Amino acid sequence: MHTRAPYTRPTVQRLSQGPVNPFRHGASPACSEIDGVTVADLVKQHGSPLFVYSENTLRSLYRNAHRAFTRRYEDVQFAWSYKTNHLNAICRVFHQEGSIAEVVSGFEYEKARHNGIPGNQIIFNGPHKEKADLERAISEGAMIQVDNMDELLVLADMAKGRREALPIALRVHISTGGHVVWSKFGFNGDDGEVQQIIRRIIAIPQLRLIGLHTHIGTFILDPEWYQIATRKLVGLALEAEAMGAGPITYLNLGGGFASMARLHYQYLPPEQVTPAVDRYAEAICDTITGMWPANRPLPRLYLETGRALVDDAGYLIASVVAVKRKSIHDPLQAALVAYGKNSAPLVAHGSQNALVLDAGINLLYTTTWYQPRIFPVKPCLDAPVPTTVYGCLCMNIDVIREEAPLPNLNTGDQVVIHPVGAYNQTQSMQFITYRPAAVLVGQDKRVHLIRKRENLEYVQGMEVLPAHLSGS
Amino acid sequence: MASTLSDLMLNDRGFAFDPASGETFQLSTTGLRLVRLLQQGMKPEEAVGYLVGEFEVDENTAWRDATEFLRALEQLGWISA
Repeated sequence: MHTRAPYTRPTVQRLSQGPVNPFRHGASPACSEIDGVTVADLVKQHGSPLFVYSENTLRSLYRNAHRAFTRRYEDVQFAWSYKTNHLNAICRVFHQEGSIAEVVSGFEYEKARHNGIPGNQIIFNGPHKEKADLERAISEGAMIQVDNMDELLVLADMAKGRREALPIALRVHISTGGHVVWSKFGFNGDDGEVQQIIRRIIAIPQLRLIGLHTHIGTFILDPEWYQIATRKLVGLALEAEAMGAGPITYLNLGGGFASMARLHYQYLPPEQVTPAVDRYAEAICDTITGMWPANRPLPRLYLETGRALVDDAGYLIASVVAVKRKSIHDPLQAALVAYGKNSAPLVAHGSQNALVLDAGINLLYTTTWYQPRIFPVKPCLDAPVPTTVYGCLCMNIDVIREEAPLPNLNTGDQVVIHPVGAYNQTQSMQFITYRPAAVLVGQDKRVHLIRKRENLEYVQGMEVLPAHLSGS
Repeated sequence: MASTLSDLMLNDRGFAFDPASGETFQLSTTGLRLVRLLQQGMKPEEAVGYLVGEFEVDENTAWRDATEFLRALEQLGWISA
């Protein structure tokens, strides 16, 4: 019987020095399975698009990071950042591994409690905490990290009449020299504001300062910034004690460690740029142990790293729903043609491949800052070429990647987008289509549905029709 | 000055050399097949029939893609409009 060969589109591409290597013909990298489960099976069972998380990767990222810190520091506690990914299955993997919870709203606090985390193992962070949420958190012994003076005064009021002073920590923003200061978070640690607040706390008998927190930013590629931040935070802690605040029993260095994502305009690939978590651990732990008085027990070290623990464990499977050509203007080529220095312009220079996927940027919020890798699922015969990858939204801004190196794909082919485990689930919005299901590939390769695909009932569930509009 | 299709030098991996301009090109597997069929003097519609017979593609898709490909060859000056 005559069998037909796999099809790729007929193309011709002018070779120029650098980006194209003819010997890569037939060598486009593909991703046909995730943790031993084929993408074809995942799509068959759960449809496309589909978020997929690897339990193996979640646990190994956690253990690797935890080991990096506990090797250098005795009293380390990770707190899972709910805002990074709040799917209960994901949170519970980290809780099983030993993480407590870090939440930044009443909603996240409720979620953490629902996941079985007692109040005294919840760090309550963030710039806005509702009074009712603070009351609950205080009554359950949560660790409150105070962001602003208004919150401090509310807490002082709530703490009136307590038999024991209410323990609190302060959020502090710090300049690390090479980065925009995240000055939204807490009090200024560089200009004396924090010391002023500490003096105020000392004067309020119902409050007791026990910790300091800083979160210097996100996707920090230079561990030295943590060294600087830690040095300043330890300095502030010792200064607070000298001022009479009492013992500072914990320091919280927040999150911000980089994953294997790639920023837009990041020249080198993540393999060469993203530091090993050990480098962050070294910068933080060695600084505290080097500065802390030798005759005193070291403060507990809290870390709220989110992205570095979950991003690389998350994938989005999507399907090609249309193939297109996109016009591009190449000024250099046009100039060469005008001066007769080159042959006639080639269509490949005047246009490039484009795809439309069945998933849009409403699911991939982080593509604003990062360019995920996009792999074809089927091993492809032809060389990758620059391809614009559009989402399915009816909006011109819905571009997942301006130029992804992809072979010629066809309608119906699947792609895998990675890494997308951090922030996309929590920041995605329902828009035009239903948001997709999410599954967790377990360590035994069993596939668990952890979030159902949305439907009309879910989307309309919170709507209320006025009586005069409710007739048929 | 570009070559005509019959002047192109091709290898089996789709590498093409245009002796008139000195430029080199990469053809995909199906692109190479089409160019070789056209070099043999075959008409485009016949060549597309070969694609459908030899590759896992339906006729509509093959025509859509071949039309774009032939337009690219026209712009290179390898075939006339």
